[in-house]
Amino acid sequence: MSQTKLLEMTGITKAFASNIVLNGVDLSLDEGEVVAILGENGAGKSTLIKILGGIYSMDSGTIRIHGEGKNINSAAVAAANGIRIIHQEIILVPGRTIAANVFLGRELRDHLGFMDAKRMEEETQKVIDDFGLNLKADQLVGDLSIGMQQLVEIIKAVSADAKIVVMDEPTSSLSQGEVETLFGIIHQLQKKKVGIIYISHRLEELFAITDRIVVLRDGKMIGNVVTKEADRDKLISMMVGRELSSYYTRNRHEIKGVSLEVKQLSHETYFKDVSFYARYGEIVGFAGLIGAGRTELMKTIFGAFQKSAGEVFLDGKPVSIRKPQDAIDLGIVYVSEDRRGEGLILNNDVKFNMGLVCLSDFIHGIGVNQTAWDDMVESYRKKFSIKITSPHQLASNLSGGNQQKVVLSKWLAKKPKVIILDEPTRGIDVGSKAEIYGIIDELAGQGVSIIMVSSELPEIINMCNRCYVMCEGRLTGELEEHDFTQEAMMDFATRREVQ
Amino acid sequence: MESKKALSAGNPVTAYIKRNIGILVGLILLVVVVSISEPRFFTASNLINLLRSNAVNAIISCGLLLAILMGEIDISVGSTVGLTGVIGAWLIANTNLPVPVTVLAALGVGALIGVINGVSISYLKVPAFVATLATQSLGRGLTEIISGGVTIRVRNDAYTSLGNATIGGISIIIFYAAAILLITWVLLNKTKFGYYTYALGGNKTAAQYSGVNVKKYNMLPYILIGVLCGIGGVIWSARLGSAAATLGEGFEMDAIAAVVIGGTSMSGGVGTVGGTFIGILIIGVITNGLNLMGINSFWQNVLKGVIILAAVIIDVARKNRSKQQ
Repeated sequence: MSQTKLLEMTGITKAFASNIVLNGVDLSLDEGEVVAILGENGAGKSTLIKILGGIYSMDSGTIRIHGEGKNINSAAVAAANGIRIIHQEIILVPGRTIAANVFLGRELRDHLGFMDAKRMEEETQKVIDDFGLNLKADQLVGDLSIGMQQLVEIIKAVSADAKIVVMDEPTSSLSQGEVETLFGIIHQLQKKKVGIIYISHRLEELFAITDRIVVLRDGKMIGNVVTKEADRDKLISMMVGRELSSYYTRNRHEIKGVSLEVKQLSHETYFKDVSFYARYGEIVGFAGLIGAGRTELMKTIFGAFQKSAGEVFLDGKPVSIRKPQDAIDLGIVYVSEDRRGEGLILNNDVKFNMGLVCLSDFIHGIGVNQTAWDDMVESYRKKFSIKITSPHQLASNLSGGNQQKVVLSKWLAKKPKVIILDEPTRGIDVGSKAEIYGIIDELAGQGVSIIMVSSELPEIINMCNRCYVMCEGRLTGELEEHDFTQEAMMDFATRREVQ
Repeated sequence: MESKKALSAGNPVTAYIKRNIGILVGLILLVVVVSISEPRFFTASNLINLLRSNAVNAIISCGLLLAILMGEIDISVGSTVGLTGVIGAWLIANTNLPVPVTVLAALGVGALIGVINGVSISYLKVPAFVATLATQSLGRGLTEIISGGVTIRVRNDAYTSLGNATIGGISIIIFYAAAILLITWVLLNKTKFGYYTYALGGNKTAAQYSGVNVKKYNMLPYILIGVLCGIGGVIWSARLGSAAATLGEGFEMDAIAAVVIGGTSMSGGVGTVGGTFIGILIIGVITNGLNLMGINSFWQNVLKGVIILAAVIIDVARKNRSKQQ
């Protein structure tokens, strides 16, 4: 190890508008060291990495590489300094060979100035062999498994002068065997004195591969421990130990009979053998980490995805849901986590969006009952205090909180029996969050059956009567309200095997 | 600020002018320039002639508006006009079928092409451009086969009067076009069909998740487009009293131009019949004015190409600006 640190990030601070996402975070890295960044969703991990990668600019703080201060203000500068960020999503050209992908943007030329495919293939093959992968440089990327593509992505990133490699959830799509291969690659990189920042929720991996673990929570650095001296429980409590805010509305409501029941529901790729039930007047939480399969489970129940096995019951009767329309007709609605992509028609106005689900109430054949429609919009505007300049304001111009209220109005106008809320407060300011919690509580009071997917554990703890926890496509736990602790949920959420 | 453009309920005329102010000014400028350089332009008879010669484009533009509102396209319209026109003419020339049956047959063939387009695009997920490129070729080929490459003459007054009758001295086809513009406006603004067309173009996933039968509502407009082309084909063959294998060639160009100039977003979800109407007039004035000035059609094509490109660039720039907000 050299005298100076390979990488020193000190006092990194970043705010989006008034929302401070990183607050004086320090991170250092030695040559050949593997450091994990651990934290809940929203703890600030990605923001920190994006600052290092030159995608975001920091508000204050310094970055030094080998003791030399650097102003990393673009992705190109980051790359020139040997920083390689490997994202979770695969960004490869499937119709081209591994070699063509590895050399994309820095192609080798022969003496005539033409592409030197042969040399690129040879050099790629050398790297592949170095890392001990069973691949040929002239294979098409599209023919590889997702896991192998992920490894190609990693090879591509590290093949040219990498000094600092950041891996963001690199194992999310890898099989156990491929994880071993990845660890092999990491050991090779360590030998070449490359420093590695490893982001993962999977604690057992961190214990297996990292030297040090940095824990972030709510944008602050909470812990910096040597992996050998760390233990699982301590890490979990560091991750989740934030104080619970007081903006939840929660009244005790009478819980009635079972509404929705799901038995052994499976999807080809996303989840397997999931069984659970929900009751009228009850708020059922679904906790877990991003990628646990919760959204996919809900979309399958809603008919947007197709199940491969299993049954769904409503009020004790089996129901067949092949498309969202079927679910909506039965009174099951799904409020997507992706408001902009799946919830709203952004280039249309508030009134249009609110009326879309129950258009039949306003349009009979030819002719629109504008008065009834306007009244509906007005009643929800008042009820949820939605801030709009007119019903004709475009949905794209509303704040996240107001957009969510518009989406909720759209669904509630349908008077659903079961409402599935997927991350109902994601990307919403604190004030609107509190209002949304109020709406959820009121709905439960009206006897609606509510299923709430949330990656924010305090939200589940404070709002739900009961909760299920998923990990990697399986239900790993069920907790009653009196057993709710963040530690218990995080424990289930990181368990790879069903207990 | 896009929101300022959203109109408050009020006088529909003011709202219409506000919404289309840019192209309205463009149309007026165009009319002024053409009137000054060509005195014959601004006469009642020429203006009626202008409307008559753009009536079929208006009908087809209504169809294209539906496709583009869904964020898609239909480039088979010109060849469908040709096919239905030739079929109408051929049936009159070679059979004793009554005129109404002949017309229905032509519209039926148009609808059939629409079904092929609609099923390919909506159910089989073929990109609209490719699907309609294929039916364009298919339609044109059939047109050539049926006509045998020669012009089919129609000597049946009942049929030709469909294109040549007048009401109060004004050509009947202007009334057809007006009726179809009105019907399209009602469809888009007063029926579920119309709301779903906007919803599909705005965000297909959100529409699907809101319980819209996206396959059905993605297909129906194409059938309607086919019928509109059938109407166009009958009108043309009736008006000319003949149908050639080249009938309808390039019609998609003027229709797309009218719709895009009319402020319809190529990515879907935004656009109006009112705007399209102005787009039709702009294209009409350009064609008519340049004809009067004796500028040949080659240059007209160049000019239309430039105008379409400009309209799309403005649309894209507008979208980028609102994205950055």
